[in-house]
Amino acid sequence: MANEVFLKLSGIKKSFGGVHALRGVDLEIRRGEIHCLAGENGCGKSTLIKAISGVHEPDEGTIWIDGEEMKHMKPMDAIGKGIQVIYQDFAVFPNLTVAENIALNGELKNKSKFVSWRDVHEVAARAMSQVGANIDPDVRLERLSVANKQLVAICRAIVNDAKLLILDEPTTALTAREVEKLWAIIRSLKEKGIAIMIVNHKLDEIYQIADRLTILRNGAYISSGDISEYDQARFTRDMTGHDIVEDKYAPEKSSEEVLRVEHLSRKGSFEDVSFTMYRGDVLGITGLLGSGRGEIGEALFGLAPADSGTIVLNGRTITIKSVSDAIANEIGYVPEDRLTQGLFMDRSIQDNTIAASIRAYMKGGKLDEKGMEDATNRWIKEIDIKAPSPKPAVRTLSGGNAQKVVIAKWLNTNPKLFILDGPTVGVDIGAKAEIHAILHDLAAKGIGIIVISDDLPELVQNCNRILVMKDGRCTGIIDNSIDEVSLGKMLIGA
Amino acid sequence: MNNQKAGTARRLPDTHILTIIGLMALVLIMMLFLQPGNYFSLKNARSMIYQFPEYGILAFGMMVCMIAGGIDLSLVGIMNFTGVIAALIVKHMVPAEGGPMTAAAIILAVAAAIVIGCACGAFNGFIIGYFHIPAMLVTLCGLQLYTGLAYGITGGPAINGMCDAFKAISNGSIAGIPYVLFIFIAVFLLVTFVMKSTVFGHEIYFLGSNARASRYSGINTLKVTIMTHAFSGILGGISGILITSHLNSAKSSNGSTYTLLTLLIVVLGGVHPDGGKGKVLGVTLSTILLQLIANAFGLLHMDDNAKTFVNGCMLVAALLLDVYLDKRAAKRN
Amino acid sequence: MEKKQKLLLGLTSTPMILIYVMAVFCLIAALRQPAFLSPATLINLCRAGIFTMCFAICEMVVIISGGIDVSFPAIGCVAMYVPMWLYNHDMGVDSVFFFFGVAMLIGLVFGILNGVLVSFLKLPPLIATLATSSVASGGLIMLLGTREYTSLPPSLDALYSVNLITFTDPATGFKYPLTILILVPVFLCIIVALIMKYTMLGRGLYAIGGDKNAARVAGFNVIVLQFIAYIFCSVMASATAMIYTTLMHSSTTTALMGEEMIIIAACVVGGCRLTGGHGSVGGTILGVLLITLVRNNLNMLGIPTSWQTFAVGLVLLLGAVLSSIQARRIEKMGKI
Repeated sequence: MANEVFLKLSGIKKSFGGVHALRGVDLEIRRGEIHCLAGENGCGKSTLIKAISGVHEPDEGTIWIDGEEMKHMKPMDAIGKGIQVIYQDFAVFPNLTVAENIALNGELKNKSKFVSWRDVHEVAARAMSQVGANIDPDVRLERLSVANKQLVAICRAIVNDAKLLILDEPTTALTAREVEKLWAIIRSLKEKGIAIMIVNHKLDEIYQIADRLTILRNGAYISSGDISEYDQARFTRDMTGHDIVEDKYAPEKSSEEVLRVEHLSRKGSFEDVSFTMYRGDVLGITGLLGSGRGEIGEALFGLAPADSGTIVLNGRTITIKSVSDAIANEIGYVPEDRLTQGLFMDRSIQDNTIAASIRAYMKGGKLDEKGMEDATNRWIKEIDIKAPSPKPAVRTLSGGNAQKVVIAKWLNTNPKLFILDGPTVGVDIGAKAEIHAILHDLAAKGIGIIVISDDLPELVQNCNRILVMKDGRCTGIIDNSIDEVSLGKMLIGA
Repeated sequence: MNNQKAGTARRLPDTHILTIIGLMALVLIMMLFLQPGNYFSLKNARSMIYQFPEYGILAFGMMVCMIAGGIDLSLVGIMNFTGVIAALIVKHMVPAEGGPMTAAAIILAVAAAIVIGCACGAFNGFIIGYFHIPAMLVTLCGLQLYTGLAYGITGGPAINGMCDAFKAISNGSIAGIPYVLFIFIAVFLLVTFVMKSTVFGHEIYFLGSNARASRYSGINTLKVTIMTHAFSGILGGISGILITSHLNSAKSSNGSTYTLLTLLIVVLGGVHPDGGKGKVLGVTLSTILLQLIANAFGLLHMDDNAKTFVNGCMLVAALLLDVYLDKRAAKRN
Repeated sequence: MEKKQKLLLGLTSTPMILIYVMAVFCLIAALRQPAFLSPATLINLCRAGIFTMCFAICEMVVIISGGIDVSFPAIGCVAMYVPMWLYNHDMGVDSVFFFFGVAMLIGLVFGILNGVLVSFLKLPPLIATLATSSVASGGLIMLLGTREYTSLPPSLDALYSVNLITFTDPATGFKYPLTILILVPVFLCIIVALIMKYTMLGRGLYAIGGDKNAARVAGFNVIVLQFIAYIFCSVMASATAMIYTTLMHSSTTTALMGEEMIIIAACVVGGCRLTGGHGSVGGTILGVLLITLVRNNLNMLGIPTSWQTFAVGLVLLLGAVLSSIQARRIEKMGKI
């Protein structure tokens, strides 16, 4: 039974308006296995999920489920065949109770007209005991943590008699302990013969959980096989198409201090964090979710200010209690979620570029239109944003170019300290390298650069020092001679 | 906003403005056949000019709030409340025999209306921004509160019989051109300047396009929300003066159709109900278009309620145009 | 510890606060005017609350589904005016079924219009229903003119005279009859409460109010559900308008205009969130009680009735602020 193929795709192609999202993908998932689908952002992973779940019909290629060829598959057909997808946002109802969230889909599937609350509770209790969850069934979902919401989504999926469970990047919003728990649940589901496909691109996590692995790149199938067939070198090569690059960022040694942070604490987020940055330094801050890595950035930028500790920027002690304090002290911040926190999608490149520095263009009681346009043009040239003019809406730009606009927004404020949270998430390889080059240039000019990320290869290559956070505390500041596997072990404290 | 115009690569003129100009031409051509003599007369033009500034200015207030991602349903309430206050000041402080005190009292009345309008708006903005309650609910509540204040102060009946100098604000003219036209043009220039050439104006657009990104760009969203609604309140106060002077009467239920009318003007003028998009010029043109239509209805002896009916239909049509344009833009990307 | 916290939460929940406020209101009123404590007050309150209650239930359903409907007063006016107009122009039969049937048919038509605009064309509900409102109201007066019908046809008059009980004030000899139509809101509340709680239709309305996208993924038909909410609202509001005509002996083209404010206030005070997904029949009943109490007994507190509008606004403001503070408090309690 273990080797029986449940889902088979061959030669799946799909394009949207001339853009090839999938160019011939093969995939085989067996019953009772944990299969990882890996690939860099934009490799077509999400389109593939949508093809499997019947949301998008492929242009070419065939899908077999349980040995049956599926034609014109609709979402309901896929669900009927036992395919359940847990999306990154879980698609749960915040205003309904846990029990109802778990049981509602089943009732819908049975086309029942009435709700028996006794049944709802029974179904929920059964599902929760199956995955070993212990959540108060009468609590509204909006009160649950991300991990528990995910549990509810998993419970809901197995209630509906899942044979293949697809999880889209399930660990991005989980803390280390929660990830462990999730793996335990997934292994127990595997024991029950359910096939599991996990979309992920973090090597350490894939090694922890996967039986087999399929790698996509640029919408095309690259390789597939047992996890034992992959070592780190092959994984990186298949993922990126390049061999591991060995040249790591190494600035000239300097004793000119840029930033000194001492005993910085914020209750419930992080405690007693101290570090010093010198001219040319690019400091990486890493850690698992909930370790306090992002919160340090938010504290330095005043979004969630620190309760205690000192910050000395260029020899001057500063206090940061709000975003305006941070901006007054010439600190820039690129937030983790570009779309909702970083950009005004419907506004022009120019508007986005000057958004944080607009007060500088007040001249004689009036905004200097020409000045704003010139500044935008300068940045377009300087950091190579691919756009014909400052006028198009940011929505029309690709991920990498949009991220450059966010960077330009802060460069236009002439920051002395520049904090970037996940600067290359959703950015293609070419633009990624360009963004790193920009950061290195800035560091050389004496601007303090802090990169917060969970992308370990990125950190090792581009930061000369890395601060590791665990459970709100700094467990060490290391230089980049470390390799990413040992760094990964440091994160979980092994 | 010129950056709006260039949203598409080929620098097409704004579809909304083209539509409005087209509709204006249509109305004018129709009237050319139906009522050429009456419609195209100086007298008629003047009568139109006397009417539109009071709700045109109100529409600017609605526009500002909607661009900031909210809505201001309390404008009519603010208008009547400030109108009542101004009327009370004029009634009680203008001496019967006239003299310099008259001017002082009128200036005081105007200032009071504007300050109170500003305070009402700021109150709305504070509740919206501080408690994170939807603008729709807060301003609906504001409408009730300010209308209630006006009603409570007057006790029901209208305040009538203002002095001639006060009446002249909305009814007087210089060289045949009504004062209100100058007031409207002044307000138009002010709003255009604020929206286009000040930091505050840009912050309103930023807030409406993405409130979170605004915060992450260092914009104090609470302050901008309060200022936006206060600005809208000031415009409501100006309208309050105009309508009180125009009707020579102040009460809590004046201009009850203006909420719908201003919404119609603003949506027709190309302001997006979700915020972030809209131009002062579009709103101005759509104000004038609606005045042209209203006036045509009057001359054709059509019922006032027919106007309400048509306005409702046009509001739906304007929204549908928005939906269509959005879809087309989405397809192009 | 946990029990204590739960008790505290229960005692400071929104419905309990509403009950406290009403108790204080009644206490002050009773101290100032001992006559307040008589069955007559209760009967007056019930009579006054009939329409508010029915309208509020209609509006609640729409708000739970994530929308808002400000067109029901205008639709109600059309629904109360057209049957009377038909009857007075010898185009109707004198039957309760005819009057209510025509009214509800009119409600159906406008409900479909709202449904098309909001769920099909995806226009913002507030603006769309405002447009419907002006189409209904403007169109009505334009086509049928405006006058007031004050005499009821015999069939409605007969309905009017059926009373459940009649209380006679022993001191003054005034009679306070309680109409049988009070049963309409009572049954409406029970039926809607059951539907919202025990049918997939009701749960679906909560679901689309909570998260439209999740509802779509789960397999709910979002468009149909929104349609049902708007149609229910219009049809029931039209029937309520006919009850209004029966009880008030009046049918005009503008009788109900402006009512939407008070109804939305009642819903919001009763715990509905304008963002959708939250609200209950029980809460709405409390909201209606409070609003009706404030509207009709302000003078008992020594406040002139001309301040009634302001008072309703104040209640709405406090209700909105209260629910925002409650939401924040729950947020602060942390995730579990």
